[in-house]
Amino acid sequence: MSIDAMSPPVSQATGQPEPLLVVDGLTLRFGGVTALSNVSFDVHHGELFAVIGPNGAGKTSIFNCLSAVYRPQAGVIRFNDVELLGKRPTATAQLGIGRTFQNLGLFMNLDVVDNLMLGRHHRMRTGFISGALWIGRAKREEIENRERVEQIIELLELEPYRRSHVGSLPYGIKKRIELGRALAMEPTLLLLDEPVAGMNLEETEDMARYILEVKAELDLAMILVEHDMHMVMDIADRVMVLDFGQVIATGPPADVQADPKVIEAYLGQSS
Amino acid sequence: MPRLRNLNMTLRYEDDLKLFKSRQSRLAMVALAVVAIALPLSITDDFWLSVLNYAGITAVGAIGLNLLTGYTGQVSLGHAFFLGVGAYSAVFFGGTHQWPLPLWLLACAVMGGLIGAVVGPFALRLRGNYLAVVSLGLVFLGIHVFTNWDSVTGGPGGTSVAAPLKLGPINFGKLEVGNYAYTRNQGFFLLVWAIVAISALFAKNIVRTRPGRAMQAVRDRDVAAEVIGVSLARYKVGAFVISSALAAVAGGLFGAYQQFVTPESWNLFLSIQYIAIIIVGGVGTIFGSILGAMFIGAAPQIVDKFSGSIPLVSRSPGGSGFHLTVFQLNQVIFGVLIVLFLVLEPRGLAAVWLRLKAYFRAWPFSY
Ligand SMILES: Nc1ncnc2c1ncn2[C@@H]1O[C@H](COP(=O)(O)OP(=O)(O)OP(=O)(O)O)[C@@H](O)[C@H]1O
Ligand SMILES: [Mg+2]
Repeated sequence: MSIDAMSPPVSQATGQPEPLLVVDGLTLRFGGVTALSNVSFDVHHGELFAVIGPNGAGKTSIFNCLSAVYRPQAGVIRFNDVELLGKRPTATAQLGIGRTFQNLGLFMNLDVVDNLMLGRHHRMRTGFISGALWIGRAKREEIENRERVEQIIELLELEPYRRSHVGSLPYGIKKRIELGRALAMEPTLLLLDEPVAGMNLEETEDMARYILEVKAELDLAMILVEHDMHMVMDIADRVMVLDFGQVIATGPPADVQADPKVIEAYLGQSS
Repeated sequence: MPRLRNLNMTLRYEDDLKLFKSRQSRLAMVALAVVAIALPLSITDDFWLSVLNYAGITAVGAIGLNLLTGYTGQVSLGHAFFLGVGAYSAVFFGGTHQWPLPLWLLACAVMGGLIGAVVGPFALRLRGNYLAVVSLGLVFLGIHVFTNWDSVTGGPGGTSVAAPLKLGPINFGKLEVGNYAYTRNQGFFLLVWAIVAISALFAKNIVRTRPGRAMQAVRDRDVAAEVIGVSLARYKVGAFVISSALAAVAGGLFGAYQQFVTPESWNLFLSIQYIAIIIVGGVGTIFGSILGAMFIGAAPQIVDKFSGSIPLVSRSPGGSGFHLTVFQLNQVIFGVLIVLFLVLEPRGLAAVWLRLKAYFRAWPFSY
């Protein structure tokens, strides 16, 4: 198993680079509701993969399966050659999946630094006893990880808010902090659930710029769930369209945009 | 550049991590320590010393509950049970077996922590307020066991506690420095408040490092916490164990100080008193736990002392006409305080303190 994203593992059979993530036949039901039906896709190293679809199409459900919050009834999720089904959510963090939530998953009573430091949690070791005694490692770990957090604060221009309680900050800043926390995890796969929902044009452009910067500087794969079609078409490498839990198209933005089934799904919704 | 010193600039992460960041706050801590050591010398009145001693003992337990409830968001009504476990550990290890002070205190912590570790995984398994219900059961189970396990607890009539108070050459029960002989109350004051200081320091260190951040993440947003790699079970149970251990240390000190314990002291009302303390002091602050303990831990004794001069209050039930017993009056006071603070200042006395500090820093400009 290679974690080095600079040289993705190469399949011996085809000579093609192996995908970072393979999802195959994912099916998720809630009682009578089928949220996902036989969903398959893969995401490659360094790729920005977008998932779009009308409300209730099942986009967030995919994320919840990937971070092991939901247990699908059928399917395979292979990440870096590890099967994710049956794992605990905490294990997905260890394996290198970072995520933001559609309705914000921030710790509202903590400040920005502490929220980002929590992104480092799985890379730190300090336990109750060494923390209480503030002995050697506890202090060293705090300083080292604080340095990483400061790099992200700088990248996302969060300096003015360092010690502000997250709950008191504006919505657009909160979304940026949550991106920061996910980046602090140093994931190999980043899941962004509607990072610009509810933002104005300027905030949306800022966020798009940050996402592209992250993509350029940090060399990770991303899955982006988004309603904002312009943004998706501008920045995604490939797009998958979901409708009623089913994949209706996957491909480069231009192809998908021209696909009659996609047009129908979107027109059907807006009428 | 002496003028720059007042700016409190932090230029290195190491400085930002310091517990007492400015020179003023470090000086204030030294001053506080000096006062703490000198105070018992200047107070000779046993009543006020005992009020301060009970407040200190209560502060240790309140710091524990605040770690669990304030920082981790797990409401427990079982704190009284763990105080009882500590008291009987002091009876057994300190009284019966005459272990030295550090050892029987440690034994209290270990017994509380161990029982917490056994009960925790069951009580904290589910989301929601399952713990409140389970821990309520624990209190009644505790009273039953404490009443019937005669050989250790002395049964319903209670038992005396003669735990040693010696630390090396220092005997807190009979302290002598030069020609000056401290009373038992004065010596105990030093012991109790030293333990308050150590507990507060450990607790503060926990909450500002990885385990404490994880506890607060569990409190604020449990699903997000799990997804970033924070194990809910580990930090809920961990907080419960530490909270139980601190409660047991407080219970042990209580037993050793009172020199007598009875089973029904460890009742639901005591648990509720601790919840009142952290609400009044400030949920999710270590300092608030101490403020709350001084405020509420002292209230029952002060009410008791002055009950004679409060109208309609009598020391014992019975008699004619409408009146409250001291116990009932205390319940009323706690109830009113909980409601008042929840409505008017949910962040407790600690927030009031911060506001006062900010006000005086800007004095004479009051904006
Ligand atoms: N925990 C749950 N319990 C029951 N039904 C659920 C649950 N989560 C999702 N669903 C259902 O699954 C379907 C897909 O929901 P999902 O949240 O994945 O949609 P989405 O594409 O993210 O929509 P939106 O654009 O509104 O965020 C919906 O019908 C929803 O009601
Ligand atoms: Mg969604």
